[in-house]
Amino acid sequence: MEKEIIEHGLGYNRRRFLSKLSLGLGSAALGSLLIPDLFAGGRSEPGDDFIAGLPMFAPKAKRVIYLFQNGAPSQLESFDYKPKLREMWGQELPASVRMGQKLTGMTSGQASFPLVGSYFDFAQYGESRAWVSSLFPYTSKIVDDICIIKSMHTEAINHDPALTFFQTGSQQGNRPSMGSWLSYGLGSENKNLPAFTVLLSRGSGNGQGVYSKLWSNGFLDSVHQGVQFSKGEDPVLYLNDPAGLSRDDRRKMLDKVSELNHMSYEEFGDPEISTKIQQYEMAYRMQTTVPEVTDLSKEPDDIIKLYGPDCLVPGTFAANCLLARKLSENGVRFVQLYHQGWDQHGQLPSQMTAQAKDTDQASAALVTDLKQRGLLDETLVIWGGEFGRTNYSQGKLEKDNYGRDHHPRCFSIWMAGGGVKPGLVYGDTDDFGYNIVKNPVHVHDFQATVLNQLGIDHEKLIYKHLGRRYRLTDVSGKVVRDILA
Amino acid sequence: MKSNLKGFAENVLFVLNILIVFFLLFESRVVIPNWMVPVGRMHPMILHFPIAILILAMVLEFFRFKNQYQSQVFYQKFTSNLLLIGLLSAAVTVVMGLFLSKEEGYSGSVLQWHKWTGISIVFFASLVYFFRNYRWYNHLVAKGGAIITIVCLILAGHYGAILTHGDSFVLGPIMPQEAIPQVPLDQAKVYDDLIQPVFKAKCNSCHNPEKIKGELLLTDEASILKGGKTGKLFVAGKPEISLLLQRIHLPLEDKKHMPPSGKPQLTTEEALLLHLWVKRGADFKAKVIDLPADDSLRKLAAAILKPVAEVAYTFTAADEKTVKKLNNDYRTVVPLAGGSPALSVSIYNRKNYNPKILDELREVKKQIVSLSLDNLPVKDEELKTISEFENVEVLNLNATDVTGEGLKHLVNLKRLKTLSLSGSKVSYQNLQLIKNFKSLKTLTVWNTGIADNQVQQLKKANNTIQIISGYKDDGKPIKLNLPMLKNATPVFKQTIITKITHPIRGVELRYTTDGTDPDSLKSAVYTKGILLDEHTSMRVKAFKKGWISSDVAEFKFYKSTYTPDSIALVHQAVDRFSANGAKTLVDNELAELVNLSNRWLGFDKKDMEVMMWFDKPVKLSSVMIQNVTLPIFLILPPGNIEVWGGPDKDHLKLLGSSKPVVPKVAGVSVFTDNYVDLKPTTVSYIHIKAKTQFSLLVDEIFLN
Repeated sequence: MEKEIIEHGLGYNRRRFLSKLSLGLGSAALGSLLIPDLFAGGRSEPGDDFIAGLPMFAPKAKRVIYLFQNGAPSQLESFDYKPKLREMWGQELPASVRMGQKLTGMTSGQASFPLVGSYFDFAQYGESRAWVSSLFPYTSKIVDDICIIKSMHTEAINHDPALTFFQTGSQQGNRPSMGSWLSYGLGSENKNLPAFTVLLSRGSGNGQGVYSKLWSNGFLDSVHQGVQFSKGEDPVLYLNDPAGLSRDDRRKMLDKVSELNHMSYEEFGDPEISTKIQQYEMAYRMQTTVPEVTDLSKEPDDIIKLYGPDCLVPGTFAANCLLARKLSENGVRFVQLYHQGWDQHGQLPSQMTAQAKDTDQASAALVTDLKQRGLLDETLVIWGGEFGRTNYSQGKLEKDNYGRDHHPRCFSIWMAGGGVKPGLVYGDTDDFGYNIVKNPVHVHDFQATVLNQLGIDHEKLIYKHLGRRYRLTDVSGKVVRDILA
Repeated sequence: MKSNLKGFAENVLFVLNILIVFFLLFESRVVIPNWMVPVGRMHPMILHFPIAILILAMVLEFFRFKNQYQSQVFYQKFTSNLLLIGLLSAAVTVVMGLFLSKEEGYSGSVLQWHKWTGISIVFFASLVYFFRNYRWYNHLVAKGGAIITIVCLILAGHYGAILTHGDSFVLGPIMPQEAIPQVPLDQAKVYDDLIQPVFKAKCNSCHNPEKIKGELLLTDEASILKGGKTGKLFVAGKPEISLLLQRIHLPLEDKKHMPPSGKPQLTTEEALLLHLWVKRGADFKAKVIDLPADDSLRKLAAAILKPVAEVAYTFTAADEKTVKKLNNDYRTVVPLAGGSPALSVSIYNRKNYNPKILDELREVKKQIVSLSLDNLPVKDEELKTISEFENVEVLNLNATDVTGEGLKHLVNLKRLKTLSLSGSKVSYQNLQLIKNFKSLKTLTVWNTGIADNQVQQLKKANNTIQIISGYKDDGKPIKLNLPMLKNATPVFKQTIITKITHPIRGVELRYTTDGTDPDSLKSAVYTKGILLDEHTSMRVKAFKKGWISSDVAEFKFYKSTYTPDSIALVHQAVDRFSANGAKTLVDNELAELVNLSNRWLGFDKKDMEVMMWFDKPVKLSSVMIQNVTLPIFLILPPGNIEVWGGPDKDHLKLLGSSKPVVPKVAGVSVFTDNYVDLKPTTVSYIHIKAKTQFSLLVDEIFLN
C-alpha cells in the first residue's frame, strides 16, 4: 500500500501539479489571460475539433493531396527545359555560374564538372505551351490544369534535412508535419477517418528512406499524427477486432475503458488521456469506414484504365493515388504520399525512365479524376521532390549514361486545383539551369501558400511550446500570390 | 497663529482668483517665459489633489447642516480647512493649466470645455467658501453648491483625460471594434486604404484638430500638403529628402524622431509604404490597380489588402448551439471561415444515411453554402429538401441515386455555381433544364451514361457552363500488369498449394512449369491452387480480351526438407553483411532484392565454408545455394561448390560438387539458384565449401 502511495506521489509531477493548480485556482481569470479566445466560444474543452476563428478566411482548398517524390527528381529531365546544356554537353561548368557553391561530399571530390543536357527530348504542350520532357507523356496532357513552378529553392542539400524542411519547416526533426498543422488548425472533415494519412510506395530507382518522423505531430497533440495506411490486407494495422470478438463486445469494452479513462482524466487532467479516448472512439468508427474507403474493387474499368492497371496492386504509386482520391473524397484533410526512388546519382536515363513510368500516369490521372468529380476546385494537389539535381554529371559522363548530384538552388514542382492558377509556368532559371533568375519560391513561401489556400494566415497559425511560439513557416515565408487564381 | 495662517491663505486664494481673471482677459497677449514652462507642465502632476480634496470637502459640505454634525466643532472646522486647501490647490492647478495651454499643440473644443469647467470649479468653490457662513446660506444652498462643484470636477477631469489619453482610452478595448473595412485589392486606393490608415494608427493621436503638435495636421489632404512648423512634409518623388521620412528614420533617441519614443512606432512595412508612396509622387487619388503589376507598392498592397472581393453573405449566422447539435459522427457542419455566417456541410457513410439526416438541416437552411452528399443513396425526392437551402453554391451529388427527375427542384437555388453529378444516374433528357440554372458555372457528368454527342449538345446549348465529361476510355488496349503471388512464403517443407492472383477482374492466367513462356492457346489455365512437392519454377502470364497480355511472371517455389540442428561458419561474414550469423542461411526466409536487407551473408574474396550438424541422421540428396549476382560490382556466384558429408566431422566423403554459371545480366541484381545434386546419402554432418575469388552474397541454403 505504501508503495502505491509513493508511486502516486511520483506520478504527480511538477508540471501536472502546476497545471492542475491553475485549473483549481481561479482558472477562468488565468485561463483568459493565457488563451485570449477562451471566452470567445473557442476550444474550451480538450478534444474539441475546431479552433475558433479557423479557417481565418474562406478557403479555396479544403483538402490537400501531396504526391511527394522522394529522392529529388531531376528538374532538367522533367519540366526545366535547357537546350543550352545539350549544346554544351561535356563542357566544364563555368565558375561564374557555380559561384563557389558548396557541393555534397559525393561530387566535391570530382576533378571536373561536365555539363550534361537532358537525355530526353522536350516539347511544348497545351494552351500554356509548357515544356515537358518525353518521360511524362500523361502529365504533358494536363499542363493546362496545373501550375509548374520552376523556381523552387531550398536550404538543405541532403535528403533527410531537405525532406524534413519541406514537411515541417525546419531541417531538424521534432516539429509537426504540414499535415499535423492542418489537422490541428482545421480538424477533421470526416470524424470516421484521421485528418492526416500517409501512403508509401517505392519505385525501382535508387531510393532514400522515409521515416515516421516526417508525419510526426511534433509538439502538437498526438491525435494530429499522420496515420500510415499500409499495403497489406489490413491497410490500418491493429484496427480489426481479434477473432471471436463481436462488435457489440467491442463497444461494451470501449465504454468501460472510456469510463476508466475519464476517471483518470478527472484525476490527472493530462490531455493525452482525452486524446487516447478520442483515438479509441475513432478506431471503432474506422473499423467500418476504412474497409469501405480502401475497397478499390468497385472502381469502374474507366478508372482502372485512367490510373493504369497497377492501381489495383496494393502498395504501388498508382494504387496510392487512387486511394488518395478516395480518402480525400471522404474528407481526409491531408493525404501525404511518398514515392521513393528518385535519387539518380548514376544511371539516370534508365532509372528515371522507370521512375517516371511508375508515377506519370497515376499523377495525371489523379488530377483528371478530381476534376471530373468537380473536386479539383477544393482539393490542392502537389507533385514534387525535396530539391533539384545538378546540371553537371556525377561520375563518368557517357553518351547515354550519367548521374546528377543534389542541387538545392533550383528545382521544379507542380500544383493543381485548390485555387492555384491553372496552365501557368512560374519562375525561371538561367540557361544553365543552375540559378534562379526570376520569381524565386522558397520552401517557406511554398508552405505559406499552401496554408493560405486552406484559409490560414501562416503567420497566425501558432503553437506555443517550451516558451517559444512556433509556426510551420518558422520566421519567414510569403504567400506567392502570383500563382493564385 | 492659526487664524493668521488661514487668513493669509484666504488672501492667497483671492489673489489667485484675480490672477485667473486677469489671465482670461488678456489670454491672447500673455507670453509664458521659458523658465515658467515647467511650472505649466506640472499641471498633470498636481491636478489629482484638488479633485480628491475638493470632492471630499464638498461631501462634508453637503451634510454640514445635519443636526448631529452641526454641533460638532471638529466637523465644521475640518470642512472649512479642507475646502480652503482644496481651493488653493485647484487655483494653482488652473493657473498651471492656463500656462500649459499656451504651449503649442493644444486647441479645439475639448480644451475649451476643460478650461471653462476647470475655472468654474475655482470660482464656484470660492463663492461657496467665502459665503458659507452668511445667514442666507442654508442647507439647500450648501447641497446645491456641493453638487454643482462635484459635477464641474467630474467634467473637467473627464475632458482633461481626453486631452491626454485620447477619446476612447478607457472603453476602447471593450468597445466593439470598429470593423476595419477590408477593401478588396481591385477597389482600393493607395492613399485612402494604405497611407491614411498608417497616419491614423501611428500619427493622428498628436496631429489631429484637437491637438495640433508642431502645427501639423495629418487628417486631410490639404493639411498634409501644407505641412507643419518645420516645413513641407515631402518632396514628391524624393523620399530621401522628405521631412516625413527623415523624421521616421532618425534614431529613436533623437528628440526629433517621430513618433516620439514611448509612442507606438511604425512597422517596417508601414515605413516602407510611406516611402514608396512619396517615391511614386504622393498621389492622393491613385488606385492600387493603376500601378504596374510588378511595382513594389502594388506588391506590398497585395500583401496587406484582401486579395479578391469575397462574397459577402447577407444572411445572419445560425445559432452556435444549433450548429453544434447538428454535428455528429457522420455529419459535419462547419463555418466556411471564422466569423463567416456561411456553413459547409458534408455527410458521410452510405450505410448510415437516411433522408432524415437532410431534413434536420432545415434548421440552418439559409446558412448552407456548400453541401456534399458524395456516394450516398440520395433519391430524387430529397432534392426537394435541398431546394430549400436557398444559398447553396456548391452541391456534390456524385455517385448518388438521383436520376435527374428531381433536378427541377434545384432551379430554386439561385446561387448554385457548381453541381457535381458524376457517377449518378442522371439522364440527358433531365439535364435539359440546366439552362434554367442561372448562376451555374460548372457541371460534372462523368460516368453517367450520357453519350459524347449528347455532352457536345449540352455544351452548345449552355455555353456559359463548363460541362466536364471527364475521362473516357478511348478503346485503345493497354497492357495488363503482372500476376501476383499471394503465398506468405514460397518456401515449403513437404508440399505447397500455390496462390496466384491477378488484380484485374476477368483475367485468364496461363502457366508453364518447364521454363517456356506460356501462350494463350496451349498452356494450362490456372484456375485454382496447384499442389507442388519439389522445387518448381512457374511462369505465368495474364490474358484478357481488349487488353494486351501481361509480361511473364516467374514464381519460384523452394522445398526445404531438412533444417540442421546447429550450424557454424569457418570464416566469418563481412561486417556489413553478417545478418544473424550462420543461421541466416537456413532460416527459410528469402531476402528481397530491392531492399539491401540484412537477410544475407557476404564474403569478400574469401570462401564460404559452412558446417551443419543433424541430431538425427538425414538422407540428403540435393543442396541448393541461392545467391545474389550483380556483375558490375563483381558480386558473382561461387566459382565452385563442394558438399562433403558423413556420420561425423572426421569421416567425410565428397557427396557432390558443381560449377555454377555466371548469368548474363546487365546493371541489375538478380538471384541465382545453384543446385548440387548428390548421391543420396545418410549423414549427420555436412560441410559445404563455396569458393570465390570475388564477392559472394548468399541468401539461403536448401537441403533436401
